[in-house]
Amino acid sequence: MKVLILTSGVPFIRGGAEILAGGLCDAVCAAGHQAEILTLPFQSCPPSRIPEQMLACRLLDVTETCSMRIDRVIGLKFPAYLVPHPRKVIWLLHQHRTAYELWNHPAAGDLIHYPDGPVVRDAIRLADRTFIPEASSIYTLSRNVTERLQRCSGIASEPLYNPPAGASLFYKSTPQDYFFFPSRINPVKRQWLVIQALALCREPVCVRFAGEADNEAQQAECAKAVRELRLSERVEWLGMVTEERKRDCYANSLGVVFPPVDEDYGYVTLEAMLSSKPVITCVDSGGPLEFVVDGQTGLVAGATPQALAEAMDALWGDRRRAATMGETGLQRYRDLKITWENVVEKLLC
Amino acid sequence: MLKINWFSPLPPAHSGIAYYASQILPVLAGRHEVVAWTDQDQVAPEFSEMVTVARYQPANPPWRALNDADVSIYHLGNHGGIHGGIWQVSRRHPGIVVLHDLCLHDFFAMVFLRTLERPDLYLATLERWYGEAGRHDGEAFRSGGIGAETMAQRFPLTREAVWGSLGVITHSRSALDDLREKPASPVAALDFPYTATPEARYRGWLAARGAASGPPYRLVVFGYLSRNRRLGALLEALAGLGERQQFRLDICGQLWDESHIRMEIDRLGLNALVNLRGFLPDGQVEQELSTAHLAVNLRYPSMGEASLSQMQFWDYGLPTLVTRTGWYASLPEDAIAFVRPEHEVADIQAHLRAFLADPAAFRAMGERGRQALKKHDLGNYVDAMVQFASSAVALSPRVPVLELAGKIGHDLRQWLHPAASDYLLERASQELFTMCVGKADDRDS
Repeated sequence: MKVLILTSGVPFIRGGAEILAGGLCDAVCAAGHQAEILTLPFQSCPPSRIPEQMLACRLLDVTETCSMRIDRVIGLKFPAYLVPHPRKVIWLLHQHRTAYELWNHPAAGDLIHYPDGPVVRDAIRLADRTFIPEASSIYTLSRNVTERLQRCSGIASEPLYNPPAGASLFYKSTPQDYFFFPSRINPVKRQWLVIQALALCREPVCVRFAGEADNEAQQAECAKAVRELRLSERVEWLGMVTEERKRDCYANSLGVVFPPVDEDYGYVTLEAMLSSKPVITCVDSGGPLEFVVDGQTGLVAGATPQALAEAMDALWGDRRRAATMGETGLQRYRDLKITWENVVEKLLC
Repeated sequence: MLKINWFSPLPPAHSGIAYYASQILPVLAGRHEVVAWTDQDQVAPEFSEMVTVARYQPANPPWRALNDADVSIYHLGNHGGIHGGIWQVSRRHPGIVVLHDLCLHDFFAMVFLRTLERPDLYLATLERWYGEAGRHDGEAFRSGGIGAETMAQRFPLTREAVWGSLGVITHSRSALDDLREKPASPVAALDFPYTATPEARYRGWLAARGAASGPPYRLVVFGYLSRNRRLGALLEALAGLGERQQFRLDICGQLWDESHIRMEIDRLGLNALVNLRGFLPDGQVEQELSTAHLAVNLRYPSMGEASLSQMQFWDYGLPTLVTRTGWYASLPEDAIAFVRPEHEVADIQAHLRAFLADPAAFRAMGERGRQALKKHDLGNYVDAMVQFASSAVALSPRVPVLELAGKIGHDLRQWLHPAASDYLLERASQELFTMCVGKADDRDS
């Protein structure tokens, strides 16, 4: 089979979606097919650019290449999943979230700040309702995304879990005195919430952040908060790290803190489980809640600095409990049977 | 319940639309969540108690707050000073535009030439809608070669006022159709709203009028008396009428050129019959209208506006002469006496003679006008406005898609020969149409 994986991306920004597309491509090839990733550049600002890119996607013809039929198209992200194809399946990572549940989010909302935001939002919603059902099958990254798609667009779908990249390489080591928080730095991931929580911790909790900021202003804002709260001794910014370094950071951590806003899926949770580490997340964090069992594989805190501080204090002060939770998390991951083979079988059937 | 942004002049602005807003908004706010946005320096305190009032700067509106609402409703009329800020917001933030005037050239001339001091935009706008002829006449207008009234009739610029809107509300579909300025957005024609005075009080007015029975019969002209109110024709008709001594004419309101009208009255020897009353305080309006016998409410040329004065005349059961043009032409034949624009003097005189011959027939005409007000019920108007706004908002994807269609056309024209662009245009058109309204089977379901 010739399989084209369609996704969208912002040039120079690499995150979970890009890793997933790469993993899928490798898995499809490993299953004996030919696969390529077609990444369409996406620009969401100003909003008037968005309908242009939607139309551009609709006008693309990917039915064949050099007179050879493309047998299957797998759409992943908005607006790339709008590209028409007679044998398209969608494995939805997420819709354009600021047109939906993040429309009026105080930190993440972007369209809402523009005069044409509402009409562009409505155009996105109509296009999703109209064109997503063109796909012969609709899967999503997680139960959270499936529920959102049903709630926002009235479209049924099935969650399809995939393992993080290099799943077999994660390992466990002796915990050191830090929590690990790997993620892109932006308001939705809520590094700022962790910084505020640190200021309220009674234990001398330390956090290592890995990942780059989406823009310099966001990085500067976090750094400023650390200075103002006098947390420089307890916060470490690692920046972009290699996969190997990341695995080491997981392995040597006391646990992982990951409190994003309504995360679609969250490899961080799975990577922590593969490293036998407990995960602290929040009640509104979305995807991680499908895997973190409160009190067993981690802690689910309220989405406030105080609640998050109490959760971090709890594991910081009880290392044995933290270790037990980590082991339980690894076992839960194994029980869920999250494999690429399963993903490929579903998407190509 | 909808969350609504409302943009209009508000009391105490000297504007019929501010009065309209003072009538509509309490009813609307009782049924929906409304914020009345204003760039006025002052808003009447009693009005602020009834409706939530918020301020905005036309050059820098609070988009985040505006986008919290389900829909914005913008009221546009011909006064550049009062409506300029509203238009600036409506242009960028699509919503429902309520047209209180249909010929809006005066408005755009004031906004582009005086407020913004951008003659280039003024000329480009005329050219955009009317081609080279628009630009040519626009230049002539700027140099004084063509008058404002002529420009308003030739180049109403109605489509410019509603371009990019979600929907358009007018108070006369026929007047809009006559202009041949069909907007790209959906249009609703609603009867101009007015709350009739309770019947008991109306009966009191009829009694007062009966006690003041003529002759002489009292004619009244009322409102803001600009040049298109045809006072010259009325005075000429009165002067030429053999039975003129049986009438008295009260001219109430602010005159566009009082000295000119006084000279005309002198010239025509009407000093004993015509009384310039000036702007009447509220208390005197009731006295004036309840004792008048016939109202004269001419407009020519019409800017397409509905007339609050006409509603008031009908409220008092006053028979009225109106020009058969614009919104007025859509009024019920049996509740009004029409004057043809091209035969003004003759028609006015004919109606005055008919009045003298059968005053009771004109009283019955006034009574039918009073009955016609039932169609103009405020509550029905508010419900219809909201229903239309809701349905128009459901079609909002058409706004960015139409904008995109224009951009595509403009872009392709620059680099692709028409012979080569047919396929692309057809594909793009199909996709754009579906992006606007969804697929046919979805729409059916």
